[in-house]
Amino acid sequence: MRFIIILCLLQVLTACKKTLITPVLPLLSFYQPVDFPEPVYPLAQNPVTREKFELGRLLFYSPVLSLDNTISCATCHAQTHLFADHNVAVSSGVGGLTGTRNAPPVFNMAWQPHFMWDGGVNHLEMFSIAPITNPVEMNETMLNVINKLNASDYWKKQFKAAFGTDQITDQQLFRALTQYMLMIVSDGSHYDKVKRGQASFTADQQAGYNLFLQKCASCHKEPLFTDYSFRNNGLDEISADDGRYLITQLESDKGRFKVPTLRNVLLTYPYMHDGRFFTIDQVLEHYSSGVKSHTNLDPSLQNGIPLTADEKKYLKRFLETLNDYELMSKMELSEP
Amino acid sequence: MKKIALLVVAAGILVFNSCKKEGCTDPEALNYSDKAKTDNGTCQYEEVQETGKVTLMLAHYWVNETMDFSLNMQYVHPETGDSLTFTTFKYFVSNIKLKKEDGTWWTQPESYYLVNLDEAEGAQLVLSGVPVGNYTGISYVMGVDSTRNVSGAQTGALSTTSGMFWSWNTGYIMVKAEGTSPQAGMGGAFTYHLGGFSGNNNIVTTKTAAFGTESLNVTTTSTGMIHLGVDPSRLFTTTGSVSNVGMVHMPGQNAVTMATDFYNSGVSFKYIHN
Repeated sequence: MRFIIILCLLQVLTACKKTLITPVLPLLSFYQPVDFPEPVYPLAQNPVTREKFELGRLLFYSPVLSLDNTISCATCHAQTHLFADHNVAVSSGVGGLTGTRNAPPVFNMAWQPHFMWDGGVNHLEMFSIAPITNPVEMNETMLNVINKLNASDYWKKQFKAAFGTDQITDQQLFRALTQYMLMIVSDGSHYDKVKRGQASFTADQQAGYNLFLQKCASCHKEPLFTDYSFRNNGLDEISADDGRYLITQLESDKGRFKVPTLRNVLLTYPYMHDGRFFTIDQVLEHYSSGVKSHTNLDPSLQNGIPLTADEKKYLKRFLETLNDYELMSKMELSEP
Repeated sequence: MKKIALLVVAAGILVFNSCKKEGCTDPEALNYSDKAKTDNGTCQYEEVQETGKVTLMLAHYWVNETMDFSLNMQYVHPETGDSLTFTTFKYFVSNIKLKKEDGTWWTQPESYYLVNLDEAEGAQLVLSGVPVGNYTGISYVMGVDSTRNVSGAQTGALSTTSGMFWSWNTGYIMVKAEGTSPQAGMGGAFTYHLGGFSGNNNIVTTKTAAFGTESLNVTTTSTGMIHLGVDPSRLFTTTGSVSNVGMVHMPGQNAVTMATDFYNSGVSFKYIHN
C-alpha cells in the first residue's frame, strides 16, 4: 500500500521533467588559484565551456592558422617548454623568417593587463591576431583564415559544437583560443606548495627567497612574479629595439620592456626581450655588475643589484622552486 | 483493495493533470511559459513600436560637389598640385543617433558601418528599426569609439577580417586611404592608415547636424534619406603635399592631423529628403 503511494507520488513528480542529456565531455570552468588576484580578463563575456576550450585547444595545435600550413601556436609555445619556444633566442616563422624578440611563455594570461614585450596588445582576445598576421610568424590574413575554416567541413563541425552556429567568425576563433589560454595556469610549483602549507623550503631555498624579497620582488611581484610595468633594465646604452616607445611614442618609454614573470624562469631560457642571455648566471651577472646607463634606466637599478657568489647561489635555489612540472605534463593541455 | 484502486486512479489523474498546466502559450509574449500547455488568455505583449527605414547616403566627391570621387581615377589637388590616384578608400562611421521633434534622441543599437569605396561608389548605410516619427537632426561618430577598441573581439562591421585593425598595437584603422602619386616619395605610393582612440592620439570625432526647416518623417513605409558629402581631398588640408607625409601607419600626430581635417571639413551634412 505505502509502496504504491510512493510510486504514484514519484510518477507525479517526474511527469513533467524533460529527459536529461548526459554531457559527452566533463564540464569545465575557469580555474582560480586561491592565492591569485581576480583575473583581469572579463570572463563574463566569454564564459569557459568544455566545448569552446576543446576547440581552442584544437586551434592552438593546428597549422591551419598559418599561410602555408606549417606553423601552429604550439610551434613556438610548446607545453614541454612551458608554452615558450624551444630555448631559442628568436622564433622561426613561415619560410624560416625570424623575428626580433623572444617568444614569451603563454601561461597565467588571465591576469595580464596587456600583452607582448611592449604591451601593444590590450586584450587577451586580440592577442592571437598578432602572430597570425605577422609576416615573420604565421604570415596570414584574418580574412583568409576565416575563409579556410569556413571551407572546411571538419572545422565547421568543431565550431558548431562550440558555438552552435554554421558561420565561423573571427570573434569565435579569438574567443576559443582565449579559452584555451585562460586554462593554462601555472600555480603548481614547489613555491606554490610552500605557500599553501603543503611543503617547505630547504634552508638554501629560504635564504634565496629572503634575498628575492629584498632585491627582486618590487618588480617581480608575487604571486604572479611581475608587476606588468615597463622598465628599462640597462641592457644597452642605445637600444636597438625601442620597446614600449614603439607603442606610445614617448621618449621616456625608449628601451622599456614589460617585466617578465619569474615563474618557470629556469625552464624558459634564453632571457630578455631579444633572448641575449642563455643562462640565468648571465642574467644575475647583468644585474650585479652589467647594468648600463640610459636616460630611462629604472631608478631601482641606478647602482645595479650587487650580488655575492653565495647570494647568486641562493637566488638560483629559490628560482628552482618556481618550476611548474605539473603544468608541463598536464594532459588536458597537451596536443589533442 | 477498493481503497488502493481509488488511490491509483487519483494518482493517475494527478499525473495526467500535472502536465496540463494553464498559462500563456505564445512564445512571442513577454510572459510566455514553456510549461503551459493550454492558453488561458493571459498573454502580455510588448507595446509594439512601429518602425521604418532611413538611408544615410554618402556621396563622395573631389573638392567640388560637381566632381564625383571614385577609386582608380586621377585627381589633382587644388592646393598642393599633387596628382593623386586612390586605390583604397575605407572608413568607419558609427554610433548614429537621430533627434526627435521633442528633443530626445533615438540611438541605433550596434551602430557600426565600414564604408568601402571598393564595394559601392556612393555608400548607402541603411538604418532599420527607426521608430515612426519626425526627426530634426543627426549625430554620428567618425571612427570607432574607444570602448570597442579595448573590449576584445568584435563582430559585424568591426570584424578584423576587413583588415581595418592593427594587430601589434591594438586598435581600429579608422580611415584607410592608399594610392599612387608621382609626387609621392619612394615608389610613388601613398599609404594612410589613420587611427587612435586615446589621449593625444584620439581621432574619434562626433559630428552633429540639424536638418533645418524640413524634418525627416519616418513611417512604416517611408524611404527617407539623409545625404552626407564626403571629400577625401580634405585629408591634405594641413599636412599638404604627399611629398611631406606619404605614409602613416600608426596612431600619432600625423594621424590626428589628417583624420581630423578630413572628419571636420571633409565630411558634412548636405540635405534630407522624405
